[in-house]
Amino acid sequence: MSEKLVNVTINGKKISAPASLSAVQAFWHAGYTRVEGIGCMEGVCGSCRVMVRRVNKKEVRMQLGCQTFIEEGMQIIFLAFPAPTHHAYQLSDMKNSWDVHSQFHKTFPETIDCRVCGGCTQSCPKDIEVQRGVELAAKGKFREAGELFIECVMCNLCMTACPEHIAPNHVGLFCRRVMAYFHLRPANLITRLEELRQGEMDVRTDN
Amino acid sequence: MSKGIPYDEALKRYQHDKEHTLPEMNEILRDYHPDYYPDSLVKLQVGINKGDLCHRQLAEMLQADARIDEADLAGTSITETNVLVIGGGGAGSAAALTAARNGASVILATKLRLGDSNTVMAEGGIQASIESGDTPQAHYDDTLKAGHNKANKKLVARMVMDAPDVIRWLIQEGMQFDQNEFGDLLTRRPGGASANRIVYYRDYTGLEMMRVLRESVSNSNIEVWDHSPVVELLSSETGHCAGAVIYSVEERTYKMIKAQAVILATGGIGRMHINGFPTTNHFGATGDGLILAYRLGAKLRDLDSFQYHPTGVAYPSHLAGSLITEGVRSAGVQLLNALGERFVDELKPRDYISAAILRECAEGRGVVVDDQTVGVWLDTPNMELREPGLMKQRFPKLFHLAKRGNLDPTKKPILVYPALHYQNGGVVIDENGHSTIPGLYCVGEVSGGIHGRNRIMGNALLEIISFGRRAGLQAAQNLSARGHKKSGIEHLTKLRRELSRANMPMDVKSPMLFPACANFELE
Ligand SMILES: Cc1cc2nc3c(=O)[nH]c(=O)nc-3n(C[C@H](O)[C@H](O)[C@H](O)COP(=O)(O)OP(=O)(O)OC[C@H]3O[C@@H](n4cnc5c(N)ncnc54)[C@H](O)[C@@H]3O)c2cc1C
Ligand code: SF4
Ligand code: SF4
Ligand code: FES
Repeated sequence: MSEKLVNVTINGKKISAPASLSAVQAFWHAGYTRVEGIGCMEGVCGSCRVMVRRVNKKEVRMQLGCQTFIEEGMQIIFLAFPAPTHHAYQLSDMKNSWDVHSQFHKTFPETIDCRVCGGCTQSCPKDIEVQRGVELAAKGKFREAGELFIECVMCNLCMTACPEHIAPNHVGLFCRRVMAYFHLRPANLITRLEELRQGEMDVRTDN
Repeated sequence: MSKGIPYDEALKRYQHDKEHTLPEMNEILRDYHPDYYPDSLVKLQVGINKGDLCHRQLAEMLQADARIDEADLAGTSITETNVLVIGGGGAGSAAALTAARNGASVILATKLRLGDSNTVMAEGGIQASIESGDTPQAHYDDTLKAGHNKANKKLVARMVMDAPDVIRWLIQEGMQFDQNEFGDLLTRRPGGASANRIVYYRDYTGLEMMRVLRESVSNSNIEVWDHSPVVELLSSETGHCAGAVIYSVEERTYKMIKAQAVILATGGIGRMHINGFPTTNHFGATGDGLILAYRLGAKLRDLDSFQYHPTGVAYPSHLAGSLITEGVRSAGVQLLNALGERFVDELKPRDYISAAILRECAEGRGVVVDDQTVGVWLDTPNMELREPGLMKQRFPKLFHLAKRGNLDPTKKPILVYPALHYQNGGVVIDENGHSTIPGLYCVGEVSGGIHGRNRIMGNALLEIISFGRRAGLQAAQNLSARGHKKSGIEHLTKLRRELSRANMPMDVKSPMLFPACANFELE
């Protein structure tokens, strides 16, 4: 199959490459070096953030570079990865699940300033209802909020888009983590841990 | 490659409701598994494993020259820490967290970003014997058997006994698992196992694990150095491992990190494309850790044994090597050849199934596209027929993948072919992940001995946390009051002498660091 070449601009460089290539692969194909902002090449690590503008479109979109297949006239710019946020917390600092709500607002005080501008939702390459997640979390609906972030790859694009420095993805992850930390208590696992503690289950390695 | 039955013709023969009989499965490994390709192995001529069989491509890297010499280190910055962890996947994160929580100062240096790893890509799940009908003993027996009785029994025993507590630990880090309506963890059966033993989170087990561990690490006092591939380990005057030399990709300069203990957790080897196979692995899986450890004198094992995952995507070719999780086969999806026949029990160990697929293709019963791509069908429409909607709910990632390839797995079967997936062997370790070199621990995919010559699904994610925690604890507890007197790269002098004595080409350099496609050069 002889592949059609398409012309694109990546980081200001004019490149022509086969249309089946991703933005990352096209850049390499043209002989340029890039090792930062590349991880899984499968859309799950969130490293390969790009800004994309298509021909005759004003709108600039945020995407994952390894999942962006090049199209004629596309303009692509690789984005650097932002520094980790200042939203630090330890799950073990929360004595019990009654404390979660107050810890949340201590760690993420900015969430109450959310302007419901939708910038985060628009920028999410995984079509997550990010803004709704932030709103739910602020109301203490951690289970519901966390469920929205199942497919979040922590690309931080929503964080980059947020004018209030809310770090919506870290909000989502907080919600998910507290649900596991306080509420995941599977009977089958706990039974087995107890059997092991009682020394009832050893492994024979001799046979 | 063009032998076989053309795609459109094969698609016509494909029926989702046909009954099939299975042929016997013997000799197939020796005849069709890539580990047995003629001429693919050589005997090592340099180093502690001299005389051992090793894959040709790996041998070339193990017997190559180092990338640096003394001159490169003149005037480099030096940072000191108690414990240096190398690699930011699951094994490195678990080790770093445990060492830090036990009082050590920790630097975690990683080639890409923290979390950019094979761990984040894992889909199917993690093994732990938690069902009432299952036992650690059965887990142990299954692991040994699947590995053709070549595994280190002590390591396997430790791992299976750790497993339930590994799951508890992960939950306490904030990781979720799929549950039934009563809150029990759901389990499924890994290929080659005697019981339902895999716990999982959708087909995002690794993503869920990695984002939680990354958050834990960033919320700790561990110092993370991203984009800092290690190019060489440091040795002390007494032959201990004493730190590492990293190359800062951002500052384009070398730096030294001196440490009392080093935990190497650099993962696998997929991007070496052993035997020319496509791979499921992440961009940084270039086998660096094996080379670094070997140069210091650490013993390696099973360097001729690799795992080829049976269901890499074959077509469309821009997705070649992308993984379709074994969970899909655990859920009952079958493999069919171009004649629409089932040819293997899909829940046999992976090495058998991959060999069986390669046999179908070699004997002309593969599906051929574009004269260059060949594969067999993964019969997803049949699952849709049996349990409409369930596939999409259980395997969302599969549907994203299909969308990228313009495929609809509910309507058309997916064309698959084996892909290089896992390095079975690696650095020889003891029950705390300690290598044969004092001060050097090796955990995760870089280590060897746990899986023998074939790994069953879910034991890798288990191993990285089980041994990551063990090594982290051991390293933190064994810090000596004073560090090493001297640390440097003297060991390279010996290496170079040996290389030239064995007439090895000195123009080949290792470790590989980045795949050639990225056009990366040092300095
Ligand atoms: C697609 C896919 C699906 C899988 N599914 C499953 C599954 O369902 N169940 C299961 O049990 N196993 C699965 N596995 C295997 C499992 O994910 C891995 O074996 C395991 O996660 C390895 O963990 P690790 O921490 O040892 O290595 P990795 O997670 O790969 O981490 C290694 C780290 O080291 C870094 N590194 C590499 N070289 C250097 C260097 N020179 N200097 C500094 N840093 C370096 C890398 O960038 C990376 O961050 C899967 C693997 C793949 C690829
Ligand atoms: S929620 Fe934010 S971090 Fe997560 S995938 Fe969407 S944009 Fe990326
Ligand atoms: S971008 Fe920020 S301010 Fe705007 S809706 Fe999202 S969280 Fe709220
Ligand atoms: S490289 Fe991992 S999401 Fe693109």
